[in-house]
Amino acid sequence: MKRKLAVVVGLAVVASLSLAACSSGDSATTEPSGPVTLSLSGWSLDTTPEFQVLADAFHEQNDDVTIELKEYDPAEYNTLVTADLAAGSGPDIITQKEVKYVTTFQEGGQLLDVSDIELPEGIGGASSYEVDGVQYGVPYRQDSWVLFYNKALFDQAGVAYPDGTWTWDDYDAAAADLTAGLGGAKGSYMHRWQSVVQGFANAQTGADILDGDYGYLEDYYDRVLSLQDSGAQVDFNTSSANSLTYQGEFGKQNAAMLPMGTWFTATLISQQASGEADDFEWGMAPIPQLDSSTTGTDETPVTFGDPTGFSINANIDDEKVAAAKEFLTFAASEEAAQLLAGIGITPALTNDAVVETYFAVDGAPTDELSAFAWSTHDTFPENPTSNKTAAVQGILGDLHTAVMSGSVDVKTAIAEAEDRVANEVGTD
Amino acid sequence: MSNLTEAMVTIERPGGLRKLGSSAPRPRRAAGASKLRPAGRILMYVLLAIAAIGLLAPFFWMVMSSLKTANEVFSVPIVWIPETFVWQNYVDIWTESNMLTWIRNTLFLAVSVTFLQVLTGSFAAYGFARMRFPGRDVLFLVYVGTIAVPWQSYMIPQFILLSDLKVSNTFWSIILLQAFGAFGVFLMKQYYETIPEELSEAARLDGLSEYGIWRRIMLPLSIPAIASLSLLTFVNTWNDYLGPLIYLRDPDLWTIQLGLKSFVSNLYDTNYALLFAGLTISVIPIAIIFLLGQKYFVEGIATSGMKG
Amino acid sequence: MTTTAAPETGIATPAASAAPPPRRRRSALRRRNALIGWSFILPNFLGFGFLTLVPVLILFYMAFTNWNVFGKADWVGIANFQRLLGDGSFHTAFWNTLYYSALHIPLTIAVSLGLALLLNQKLRGVAFFRTAAFFPYITSIVAIAVVWNLLFSPDYGPINEVLRAIGIENPPGWLTSQEWAMPAVVIVSTWRDMGYYMILLLAGLQTVPRELYEAARVDGANAWQRFVNVTLPCLRPTMFFVTVMLTINSFKVFDLILVMTDGGPGQATLVLSQFIYRKGFEESQFGYASSAAVVLFLLCIVVTIIQFFWNKRRSV
Repeated sequence: MKRKLAVVVGLAVVASLSLAACSSGDSATTEPSGPVTLSLSGWSLDTTPEFQVLADAFHEQNDDVTIELKEYDPAEYNTLVTADLAAGSGPDIITQKEVKYVTTFQEGGQLLDVSDIELPEGIGGASSYEVDGVQYGVPYRQDSWVLFYNKALFDQAGVAYPDGTWTWDDYDAAAADLTAGLGGAKGSYMHRWQSVVQGFANAQTGADILDGDYGYLEDYYDRVLSLQDSGAQVDFNTSSANSLTYQGEFGKQNAAMLPMGTWFTATLISQQASGEADDFEWGMAPIPQLDSSTTGTDETPVTFGDPTGFSINANIDDEKVAAAKEFLTFAASEEAAQLLAGIGITPALTNDAVVETYFAVDGAPTDELSAFAWSTHDTFPENPTSNKTAAVQGILGDLHTAVMSGSVDVKTAIAEAEDRVANEVGTD
Repeated sequence: MSNLTEAMVTIERPGGLRKLGSSAPRPRRAAGASKLRPAGRILMYVLLAIAAIGLLAPFFWMVMSSLKTANEVFSVPIVWIPETFVWQNYVDIWTESNMLTWIRNTLFLAVSVTFLQVLTGSFAAYGFARMRFPGRDVLFLVYVGTIAVPWQSYMIPQFILLSDLKVSNTFWSIILLQAFGAFGVFLMKQYYETIPEELSEAARLDGLSEYGIWRRIMLPLSIPAIASLSLLTFVNTWNDYLGPLIYLRDPDLWTIQLGLKSFVSNLYDTNYALLFAGLTISVIPIAIIFLLGQKYFVEGIATSGMKG
Repeated sequence: MTTTAAPETGIATPAASAAPPPRRRRSALRRRNALIGWSFILPNFLGFGFLTLVPVLILFYMAFTNWNVFGKADWVGIANFQRLLGDGSFHTAFWNTLYYSALHIPLTIAVSLGLALLLNQKLRGVAFFRTAAFFPYITSIVAIAVVWNLLFSPDYGPINEVLRAIGIENPPGWLTSQEWAMPAVVIVSTWRDMGYYMILLLAGLQTVPRELYEAARVDGANAWQRFVNVTLPCLRPTMFFVTVMLTINSFKVFDLILVMTDGGPGQATLVLSQFIYRKGFEESQFGYASSAAVVLFLLCIVVTIIQFFWNKRRSV
């Protein structure tokens, strides 16, 4: 009885599979045979609509392929995906939330070689997924750091808006003028992350954090320390004692300037709409530069940022590989970039049409400098793709808290970090 | 010795056992308090009140912050009482999230885990405390030793194991994980060692088996230990975050801590006001259980049975 | 008012009072006892052995490999342990853990024992105060970190305001200073844990026979003498449990430090558990992390064994 049932069910499955194959077989030969369901890892699906948007658009073009989203906790994303992959229950398509962990998965044999996927010209961040000349993922999103500023507060203090020609000296002067002119709100807010100092220093001095040489950080730290000593920005200890958020500091107009990644645009627009943030006019400017050789709208400002991308699980079923690669190709395409820009996300591929879509969003700034800052920049990766990156960033993170809290002076902290990198990690 | 046997007879009387746990001890002034003069008493209350403020301040701040708007929670200087109370946070967290499901799940898990932990833990503890057999002390050391290994370091092998058993992403994973911990065994064993051996010896002479001694003498006499084990296990299961995070992926299975964290992180950025509203709600059941449970810590409950 | 057994005999070893059985039946009896003993332990051991012990043993094996969590695990002998010896971060974490424990353990025992004695009395409203004492343990760790961070704030924090008011010119920088960050963390963790250990000690205090207090009072013992001669000896098994658990939990301290300082400033509050977590989950060196976990385990077990024997000697 039972066996009979199994046979019937089996036949039914085979029949449905072959029927499906017939119906789609004539459209294109590259199409996978039969309906395929791919699982894709994501996080915070309600407020991170990019996964659903890409999945739906892809399914519309390939009705045989369904993308099923697998939601993970955003803060523990890496831990959970690691656990699932280790237990053999990982997703078919792995979203690479942080570049730091790409080599972990790659060295663990979890990522499929996707070098045969052709990426569109001008896409940013692809090199972050390349290990020894082999491509292990494609970027679809690339945030980079810009300067957010509050036009209302600038007007109130009588300080001229950033015009794209700023070096850090101009930024410091503006912060001091703003603080003096506002009497209450600060000129700028710098969040507690190490990247807010180190990211710019690495990118603008062309340093490689894996070298083990960190003397170049000194000027950047001295500058930031003097900013907080002069009271032009909330100092690190106050910020951490009060668990300040950058959304609150900028959104509630406690600070007139905020260096931050472009992901903040979508948050700010939605918080202004919901009333969580005050209603004021704001804009984006290129991040201040080390010297005037890269300032001005004729040049390309140097900044940093990491891409977000998709990889394919190496243990994926063979019959799903073609469909998965198709999805990766789609995610990197201009069509996907348009869709992403439409929901306030900075795609890895930008061109004039994408810029137009992005700034057409209700509540987005309309000035030209914002568009320039968003679309034109030389973006260096925050985390080089290497198995040493996580360890080195850990040591540099310790350096950051030691210096910013004022408990160790810059020179000593840098020397300590250099020692530790040499002893605990080693340089190539 | 004969006195003890007499005491035993009293204990063995049907109903007598139950009375041990539930009956309030004779009202008596405690040893230390009887000597305190009114002035000393007032001073003590003042000290206790100050201590209570110090102990409850963070909780108070959390409750107050649950009535603020999202961007008001953190500010310089600290704001203890918001200008306007945003009760909407409670409405939002209750209507927009699955609080009820999460509370039901957590309650189910906490009760099952506590029940199993107390049952198997106290049972095993009797073996460790009162039976002599080769390898007992080594085995006990192994139990205690596993407590000394940080969970994060063997989390992945355990996850792979439970995934292979197909119990990950079910309530079973959390129950199996938490119910057989070494903590309960250790706690109960230490408590059993404070119970005079003469009591069980007398019971043995009266023909009670070892299982009978555990059931009829040790269990009733260890009510305070069972109460503290239950309370701590319950609270730990209730507040556990990492365990459910790794094992319970299906939103229908989420516990309160997991659900709350996931709900607020799904907003544009963590809305701490909403989170604190949810956490305030989640503390209420524990506070009630604690208020109910703490009455078992009454002086003399364990020994009152000896007095015939 | 019949038995006033001295606590020493009350806690006497089981065999002491059992009549010696005839020699030829002894081995049969022993076997029967072992069987009964195992039957008690088995239900718990089935779950414990399979779900906790097996993963822990796997971990011990992994400490000797270059395990990367995804299947690969080549035997590397004691290379991981040799690397630990030369790893500056590990040294820092190791000494920080000992420093933390040396402050946290005695402080917590003193405070929670005092609290338990105080709240073991029949005061009006004792239920409220007991609940208040337990509240830090059930308050969200995020709220704890936020409020204590504010209290410790070097410039405007209430703690330093008080210190300045009583004439201390240069109050410590607490969480912002490398010297004071650890004492600050210890204060918070003691504050948080004392309710937890109070519960355990409260349960233990219920085992002290009232008759002993009365006898002591008749003998003219004052409160301190009663505490030393009656309460403490009767409390010994509970104290043993509390000190062992407290020691292990101090060595393993993790989440409170993670949310309060994340090991900073610099590495001032980096502890072993965090080192293990960083090496494992952030740097994906699970084999190396496992070897650090083994060292932590050995540290705990050595201290526990010392406590074990010390407890045995004292109770004989």
